[in-house]
Amino acid sequence: MEPVYLTKLISQSNGWLSTRQATIAENIANANTPGFKAKDVEPFVSVIDKTRLAMTATHGNHMGTNSDMPETSKVRKSDSWLVTHSGNSVSIEQELVKTGEVARAHSLNASVAKSFHRMYLASVK
Amino acid sequence: MSDPLSATMHIASSGLQAQSERLRVVSENLANARSTGDAAGSDPYSRKTITFESEFDRAQAASLVKVKDIGTDNAPFLVEYEPGHPAADENGYVKMPNVNVLLELADMRETNRSYEANLKVMTQAREMVMRHIGLLRD
Repeated sequence: MEPVYLTKLISQSNGWLSTRQATIAENIANANTPGFKAKDVEPFVSVIDKTRLAMTATHGNHMGTNSDMPETSKVRKSDSWLVTHSGNSVSIEQELVKTGEVARAHSLNASVAKSFHRMYLASVK
Repeated sequence: MSDPLSATMHIASSGLQAQSERLRVVSENLANARSTGDAAGSDPYSRKTITFESEFDRAQAASLVKVKDIGTDNAPFLVEYEPGHPAADENGYVKMPNVNVLLELADMRETNRSYEANLKVMTQAREMVMRHIGLLRD
């Protein structure tokens, strides 16, 4: 039916981008917190590479096993552009560049989803 | 885990709140840059400092930021020779607040920059939500 699993891929990618946006928000909010280390999520490639079987949570008491969600991982200190004297390694410029990347990728995903949707609709008509 | 985009809004708003509190402290310091004591030889206004701390929010599964402490600067007061002043000591010296206006202005600019960055993140998260809604629209 859908050989490339496009919709699922887009939804996964958008989920990853949302998580990344939340991580960037954390970094920017803590841009002036002494000792705060900048974080970033693992790359999307490594998220989709992890094709593992996960147990499904079917009951309210089950532990959350949301395997699609990328885990936030700490960035090494050297990845940051700037380390201030207080031990804070958030560079606002770097974070804003990252938000730009997220916005671009998200908008691309939305456009691709929209055009695929149009193709489906065209075949229905 | 909550929705990352609404978590983004929470985190950015905690950042905005922290930065506006910082701006309040800056304005307090600037307003009181020349506030002396009223009795002879008494201490003037001493500069206030603000420190932030990151706090893990379990509901959002993210580190928000909050104001840790508003303290006072222990730097020595400046003295000026002004014998007619009500707060002058027996030698005619008045203690002036340890507020450096230039430093406060620099702090204000930095606050402004951080506030804008938080606001930018918030706007962008909102755009992402609107893009999702736009997918449903047509």
